[in-house]
Amino acid sequence: MARVAISIEGVSKSFDGGRVHVVRHLSLRIEEGEFIVLVGGSGSGKTTTLKMINRLIAQDAGEISVLGQRTDAQAEHELRRTIGYVFQGVGLFPHMTVAENVAVTPKLLGWSKAEIDSRVVELLELVELPAAQFGERAPHMLSGGQRQRVGFARALAARAPVILMDEPFGALDPITRSTLAENYRRLHNSMGLTTVMVTHDLMEAVLLADRIGIMREGQLVALGEPKTLLKAGHPAVRELFEAPCRQADEFRARLEGAGVDG
Amino acid sequence: MDNPIDAAWSRLPDYLAQHVLLSGCALAAGVLISLPLAIAASWNPRLRWPILALAGLIQTIPSLALLALFYPVLLAASELSQRTLGHGFAALGFLPSFLALTLYAMLPIIRNTVTGLAGIEPDIREAAQGVGMTQRQSLLKVELPLAAPVIMAGVRTASVWVIGAATLSTPVGQTSLGNYIFTGLQTENWVFVLFGCAAAAGLALVVDQLFGLIESGFARRNRRRQVTGLLGLTVCVMTATLPLTVKARSDYVIGGKTFSEQYILSNLIVEQLAKHGLTARQSSGLGSGIILHALGDNEIDAYVEYTGTIWTNAMGHRDNPGRQVILREVSDWLKLNRGVSVLGSLGFENAYVLAMRRRQAETLGIRTIEDLARQAPLLRIGGDYEFFARPEWQALRQSYGLAFKSQTEYQSTFLYRAVAQGQVDVISAFSSDGRNAASDLLVLADPRQAIPPYDALLLVSPRRTHDAAFGEALRPLIGAVSVQAMRKANELVDGRGASPRQAARELGKMTGLDTSRRQ
Repeated sequence: MARVAISIEGVSKSFDGGRVHVVRHLSLRIEEGEFIVLVGGSGSGKTTTLKMINRLIAQDAGEISVLGQRTDAQAEHELRRTIGYVFQGVGLFPHMTVAENVAVTPKLLGWSKAEIDSRVVELLELVELPAAQFGERAPHMLSGGQRQRVGFARALAARAPVILMDEPFGALDPITRSTLAENYRRLHNSMGLTTVMVTHDLMEAVLLADRIGIMREGQLVALGEPKTLLKAGHPAVRELFEAPCRQADEFRARLEGAGVDG
Repeated sequence: MDNPIDAAWSRLPDYLAQHVLLSGCALAAGVLISLPLAIAASWNPRLRWPILALAGLIQTIPSLALLALFYPVLLAASELSQRTLGHGFAALGFLPSFLALTLYAMLPIIRNTVTGLAGIEPDIREAAQGVGMTQRQSLLKVELPLAAPVIMAGVRTASVWVIGAATLSTPVGQTSLGNYIFTGLQTENWVFVLFGCAAAAGLALVVDQLFGLIESGFARRNRRRQVTGLLGLTVCVMTATLPLTVKARSDYVIGGKTFSEQYILSNLIVEQLAKHGLTARQSSGLGSGIILHALGDNEIDAYVEYTGTIWTNAMGHRDNPGRQVILREVSDWLKLNRGVSVLGSLGFENAYVLAMRRRQAETLGIRTIEDLARQAPLLRIGGDYEFFARPEWQALRQSYGLAFKSQTEYQSTFLYRAVAQGQVDVISAFSSDGRNAASDLLVLADPRQAIPPYDALLLVSPRRTHDAAFGEALRPLIGAVSVQAMRKANELVDGRGASPRQAARELGKMTGLDTSRRQ
């Protein structure tokens, strides 16, 4: 039996004093080592749910625990130091070098300088941005894909067992995106991480997730392995799956019509 | 003799040092106060409006008025601390200038800090929280460094404002580059005025460039620029303030108001003390409302005041019971109310008089103020900044029923120009002013004695009343200065471009005080 890494119990959130609920009575248990992807249109409440896990947003009702500890029972900044966070639009600090960005959380945790330095070298190696070459560069000197890799390195730096990712591949070109996604999935497996990712791209979700949660109007309308979800035929699921499937069919048809075959 | 440019250069080390020290302290305090205020304002939107509005309001107060306002406030505070804690503090000079300039420095720093912090993208702030920073860490490690270029631009603006406004601290008794400007304006030494302007502008320019270097260092994240700029500033401040550390302490401080005669007399007193081996420095250009308080508070040790000024302004009398009575009552009042003692009369009078161009007076048949009153509705009068607010003017108007076609205020130098060029017909003048004769003005007689006598008195502070060496050194001045000699000395400064020091030496010779010549 795998232990529960994140438990969300009956959580609600409203930004206007209760008139509209962005998240409503949401419950979700995520096991250690799982890769969960929350999918949904804009306004479905997926990002709010993600941010409530590390209390960037505080829930109005319900309970959230991470690694067995209630998130509202500890200091916010201490909670966040134990959870890696990969931001939409990267969120690197523009006034710090690549190495300084990666070192941020270990520094806050009071690691020794030697420990931090070797960790930075190790992580930049891992994301294929060797410290000797890239460590002293400013974020604005990197490409979008390189920046996002620094973002991953920063999230992993403090050896956080739980990683939250908000549309991490959103701004990247398709090739960079798929390579980066595959690489991350490998890291996730080899390091035994628990990952919660938010995306609106179902293809991405299907390719990466152990389980997919589909969100709509603040509620989790479906949850399961990609295959079973598709089979179950939930209307919301079908709706989401329809567009990419149709696109894929059309794509194939056109290529065949043009006489190109693989 | 002294050439004005050499004279100006010789004062530069002292003036510049004081100016730099004052501006530097005010700017540093401005930064230290403004940053926390601005941070509070950006964290709490409800504080934002009041803080920005208050800083903006201070900025609308003319800087000279702001400087002047601090004197009475500090004086009251000093008296309070004297009563409660047993010792007061100097309400004149550095402190009021420093406080006023600090307030003056605040607006640009606060405004730019608030703007800089507001300009940080919410994503960055969220990222700082997301990696586990506390609000304080986010501020220190992320937000302030990112806002630094904008904040530095504010500090830069503030530095230029402060250096400019610091020239106005001369009238509250703080030496600054403004001493060139105020002395120059009073004594028509335009070289001094230009020199002061150029020195202040040059200083502002250098500081502006150095802060610009630091600012661009922050903007480009170029540490070398930041360090170079900071190093440049430090070197400048240290070099400029070096004279302060080696400056000899003087035993006495001699005060003076803002007109030529006062500059000459304070020089004369300093030279007289020097002959007796006593060192003294001058605190020149003090406002006439401030100077008697300064003496009473022992911030200056002596200066020359006129009986009529105390009689009307300080004691509030409107009548004129005659020279001897006024002298006696003024002396008693000073002793009783201010603890100030009168060492004696210098021997001349410098009264407020009305004067007009001799030719015009003759044409109109005017010799006295009585004659003038009949034609006044067709004539224009000009006065110095004080005159129309003074009781003497009220007394003149009441006694003679004076009503002029128009009334204009001028700085006293320009007052003489105005009457000579016919922009006004009658001016308020001083009886010992050399320019009356030089400009061929007729001083109108005052048959009803509406204006009280203005005998020049040498006043000594409470602390120096029983200082025998001081008293002995100054006593030869009593009764030694005739009105003719004083007029001639004034004329040397106002009409011939001599420095007050030169004029004081001439005055010393004329009065037979210059014993050094005889030996």
